[in-house]
Amino acid sequence: MGFQFDLSFLIFEIGVAIKYIPVVLLLSIVPLIIGLLLGIGIAIIRLFKIRPFDKFFTVFVIFLRGVPLVLQLTILYLAVSLSFDSLAKTFGLQMSSKDLSYTLIAVVGLSINATVYLSEVMRTALQSVPVGQYEAAYSVGMTSRQMLWRIIIPQALPVAIPLIGNNFIGLIKGSAIASLISVVEIINATLYEASGNYKFLEAYVAAAIIYWLLCILVERLVAFLEYKVGVYGKGGVV
Amino acid sequence: MENIFLFSLFIDSFPQLLSRLHITLYIVVVALLFGLLLGTGIAVARLYKVPVLSQLAAAYVSFIRGIPILVLLFIVYIGVPLAAGAFGANINRWDTLIFVMITYIVNSAAFLSEIVRSAVAGVEKGQMEAALSVGMTRWQAFSRIIAPQAIQIAIPALGNTVVSLLKDTSLAYTLGIIDVIGIIQAISSNTHRSLEAYTAAACIFFVLSFILERFFKWLEKKIGINNSIPGANVAPNNKIAVVGR
Repeated sequence: MGFQFDLSFLIFEIGVAIKYIPVVLLLSIVPLIIGLLLGIGIAIIRLFKIRPFDKFFTVFVIFLRGVPLVLQLTILYLAVSLSFDSLAKTFGLQMSSKDLSYTLIAVVGLSINATVYLSEVMRTALQSVPVGQYEAAYSVGMTSRQMLWRIIIPQALPVAIPLIGNNFIGLIKGSAIASLISVVEIINATLYEASGNYKFLEAYVAAAIIYWLLCILVERLVAFLEYKVGVYGKGGVV
Repeated sequence: MENIFLFSLFIDSFPQLLSRLHITLYIVVVALLFGLLLGTGIAVARLYKVPVLSQLAAAYVSFIRGIPILVLLFIVYIGVPLAAGAFGANINRWDTLIFVMITYIVNSAAFLSEIVRSAVAGVEKGQMEAALSVGMTRWQAFSRIIAPQAIQIAIPALGNTVVSLLKDTSLAYTLGIIDVIGIIQAISSNTHRSLEAYTAAACIFFVLSFILERFFKWLEKKIGINNSIPGANVAPNNKIAVVGR
């Protein structure tokens, strides 16, 4: 008995997986953007100790960093559907949690997760710029906005970009967990095709290949961006 | 409005969840130990640029880092018995936990090999030369001079990897392992509610990761590189930072 692996079915499944790349990108890019925006806000609030929110966000970040994504998504999914059903019952609506979009819940959950990690990235990046740089910018009469755009961000970005790239890859891989709350993405789509002939290994290998290619692409993109923003750090003040 | 969250149920689920904690910790410890062994082997192959092996190792690391652990779990669970069957071995009866262990070992080896590699590469070249110049053998130089410094460099990244490994084990339930998460299904079949148990599990994972994080912070302070060499400033190792989800 040889190793049973259906190559032509694998190729078919790769085709199926490719069709679901947009779903993976939706589940990773939208959380990345939301996470970046909210993450910067949280990082600034925590760095400049803006009361009373700084304490709240510190606890929020420390707690959620310790909880696996699969639990975050499951809890969000259960909490949303239970409260939705309960509300629908109270108001006598003809709707149930089954009408909710699983994808939307997954996007929200991944966004919360991304916000937590990216706020830490932003904090690290902003902290990597020495205080003297802020003071120097103020001392030559720059406004806060000028300081941020001309002095701080150009120095913080080279620190932030590789970390953001890592998080992007983490989100692409994390989007696979959305399959556990019934979102039809690469894994569930390829598994569905395999449910007739039980060739699940081919389905998983096809999914793995596509995830791998996506991650390599993102890695390349990040390396390119790193090179681009690194130009500021190469000296050459004149 | 019905009660969405029953606090008493939340409290009551802790003893049941904690009774399966040893499975979760068992997976973490085994994956860490064997992952370190395998990872060090991979790192050596890549550091010494062993032909063929080094390219294979690079592809392995890239592949494992590029695929979700959920996918890897099922590939190992379905693929390893098939591959063994091709060699005439029947391992269909093996305990599922073994396949879960293999997955987490394979996964953590890839991340740990990167940590070992960059830690060893992070020790200055002059250290080796100096050690050899005072008459040490290569092994003495490595074990007395290079390794202690490499361990110091590796600690922060190692801490990150252990915490993400712990969080990754939360997916073992998908293969039917009854660990902290796997037991929730049994609880909810009795109570017909699961939100409380999942929230309790989240609290347990939070406490565990918090303790681990603190432990590695303490270790870093105790023997970390910034402590022992005044003024040393090790650049954050962005390449090997692991995003644990």
